[in-house]
Amino acid sequence: MIKRFLSLEWKQFTRASYFQKGIAIKILLFFAAIYFGGAAIFLGIGMFFILRKAVPEIDPMITMNNFLIYWFLFDLIIRFFMQQLPVMNIKPLMTIPIKRETVIHYLLGKTTLSFFNFLPLFIFLPFSIVLLAEGYPVINVLCWFVSVMVLTLTINFINFLINKNNTFFYIIVSVLALFIGLEIYKIFKVSEPIGFAFNTLYNHPYLVIIPIVLTLTLYKINFNAIKKGFYLDGTISKKAEKVNNMDLSWMNRFGSIAIFLKNDVRLILRNARPKQVLMMSFLFLFYGLIFYTQEAYQKMPAFLAFASMFVTGGFLMTFGQLVPSWDSEYYKLLMSQNIPYKKYLESKWYLMVVAVAISFVLSTPYLYFGWKIFGMIAAGALFNIGLNSFITLFGGALNRVPIELNVKAKAFSNTNGFNPTQMLIALPKLGLPMLLFYVPYKLVNFEVGLLVLALSGVLGIVFRNFFLNQIEKLYQKGKYKTIAAFAENK
Amino acid sequence: MITTSNLSKKYNNNLVLNMESLDIPKGQSFGLVGNNGAGKTTFFSLLLDLIQPTSGHIKNNGILVHESEDWKPFTSSFIDESFLIGYLTAEEYFYFIGELRHQNKADVDALLAQFEDFFHGEILNQKKYLRDLSKGNQKKVGIVAALIGNPEVIVLDEPFANLDPTTQIRLKQIIKNLAETKGVTVLISSHDLMHVTDVCERIVVLEKGDIIKDLATNAATLKELEAHFAG
Repeated sequence: MIKRFLSLEWKQFTRASYFQKGIAIKILLFFAAIYFGGAAIFLGIGMFFILRKAVPEIDPMITMNNFLIYWFLFDLIIRFFMQQLPVMNIKPLMTIPIKRETVIHYLLGKTTLSFFNFLPLFIFLPFSIVLLAEGYPVINVLCWFVSVMVLTLTINFINFLINKNNTFFYIIVSVLALFIGLEIYKIFKVSEPIGFAFNTLYNHPYLVIIPIVLTLTLYKINFNAIKKGFYLDGTISKKAEKVNNMDLSWMNRFGSIAIFLKNDVRLILRNARPKQVLMMSFLFLFYGLIFYTQEAYQKMPAFLAFASMFVTGGFLMTFGQLVPSWDSEYYKLLMSQNIPYKKYLESKWYLMVVAVAISFVLSTPYLYFGWKIFGMIAAGALFNIGLNSFITLFGGALNRVPIELNVKAKAFSNTNGFNPTQMLIALPKLGLPMLLFYVPYKLVNFEVGLLVLALSGVLGIVFRNFFLNQIEKLYQKGKYKTIAAFAENK
Repeated sequence: MITTSNLSKKYNNNLVLNMESLDIPKGQSFGLVGNNGAGKTTFFSLLLDLIQPTSGHIKNNGILVHESEDWKPFTSSFIDESFLIGYLTAEEYFYFIGELRHQNKADVDALLAQFEDFFHGEILNQKKYLRDLSKGNQKKVGIVAALIGNPEVIVLDEPFANLDPTTQIRLKQIIKNLAETKGVTVLISSHDLMHVTDVCERIVVLEKGDIIKDLATNAATLKELEAHFAG
């Protein structure tokens, strides 16, 4: 039976849409995989030495154990937002004569093959090898490594539980909130006993039994929960969400585009995929930290200009590149209804502008790095509003990948918008702000560089109608192709 | 109201629709029947400019549909679920369509009030998103939304499928009313010969893209259709 399941799985894998892309994309994906895998391995190897340098007075192994809990927390949060659970696929298996238990074991087993369970392998395996090379006792390191991997599986099953069961979700969230609260207000440092626990685990290898028992227990809890709900209206069903009723009538002041804006706000707040994008774009806000804190980049202002554009442009780029794909589920409606393309595009543009404005307000803490940096962020924001928005919308018009709105994107199989045209479109998005800043900066000075970058954005706003008209033409030209592509099964 | 001439559609040299001429006068209730692959949905998609004709054209009220968009204000349609916005509630969806067709909230409410029977208490005030409604209830929403804004042409692809018997009967009444009292041109397709003969003044039978029968409905029509499809 398991053999049959595996063959089904193999077919699903090889026939998935992302496998049927062009060879160029396969190669690019391959390189991306190598890059991320390599980065993780290097991080794993380097971790020991980084920790030794950062906290020289403490054994790096102890430091590692003290921080391990944060890794697992981070893991859980990322999983909660990103990991796709394979529940829907078992519907067709329900009516054929297979034991329920087999299906559930298979289902749970399948979740262990997730990308998220392999990522720690790339980090902790090299780390453990470095430990061995540094002369740490073999048994201890080995058992510690096994514990970490098994705990990763525990996180996997916890995530499964909280995704499927609201009670578990609230319990876990409140426990976490309590711990974090205690930690922040220094009432009781929960991380200390946990760090101590991990160290004990390392010092007494036979304790590896505890994480193993923990995982098995969670597996059992999951198993029972699914078994109890193994009905169409139970665990397997998609939850019918409670309607979140918002009064958006205040948006009517935006005039003729209000109707689309209201819809877009609902689109973003009521669907899994756009919510994911919203969270990702929030992370972009911190992009500047990588660049502004490094000495090396201070002498390369072009890179700083690049980073500054990213700080306010997260939503614009991640959301904008998938216009009109966001509306792919009901594109035929939009095409046969009384809708002028221009109003539709304009509303998307306003949405992006508002997002840039909000990001800009949120980026005020960057004032800490001085007025020059903040000036760059401001100029970058103007560039985003005036030019980047149109370039992104232009690129989106060439992108005809349907999106399932209420399904989370799979990590690293998200190749939407990953085609040669998109790559070409990305070039001006990334290169233009650097160029616009760098040339006048070299020729005159820093202030003029900023001014040119900012003015380019203003220019874009002035010629807004021209740009919108051009994009509209592109939409008109591609209309039938887009409808056909969106109608394809995903 | 709707005239087609020399209309054809090919996919990879495979002729799926071939209509030399078809004229549908204003206010006619027009039914399209045919087995799977006969070209019913293709014809409706061409009429709504969702696909491009390989040759020929369709005029809707004198407007070439693939050249101008001016037919959109007086034409409405419900072809399949891709005409619904899954993350809206029924009310939000109706108001959205209403706004697109320049109807205010009160206009839409007034229209919806007429369909209370049709909704059977399962559509309004449900606190459910459209994607969580059953197939039949989704269809009800789509059909009523197509009536918003006093359209002159209404296109419904298989409106009776997935509906419960009570709703089918009510829908027949609604469609008859539209054509008889309001002068609306209604185009429907159906696999249910009985319903189609009940509702439509004229029935066209398609087979592999060709018009093979064009009947003015009378007492003998149902028998004739049944005989035809029995082969």
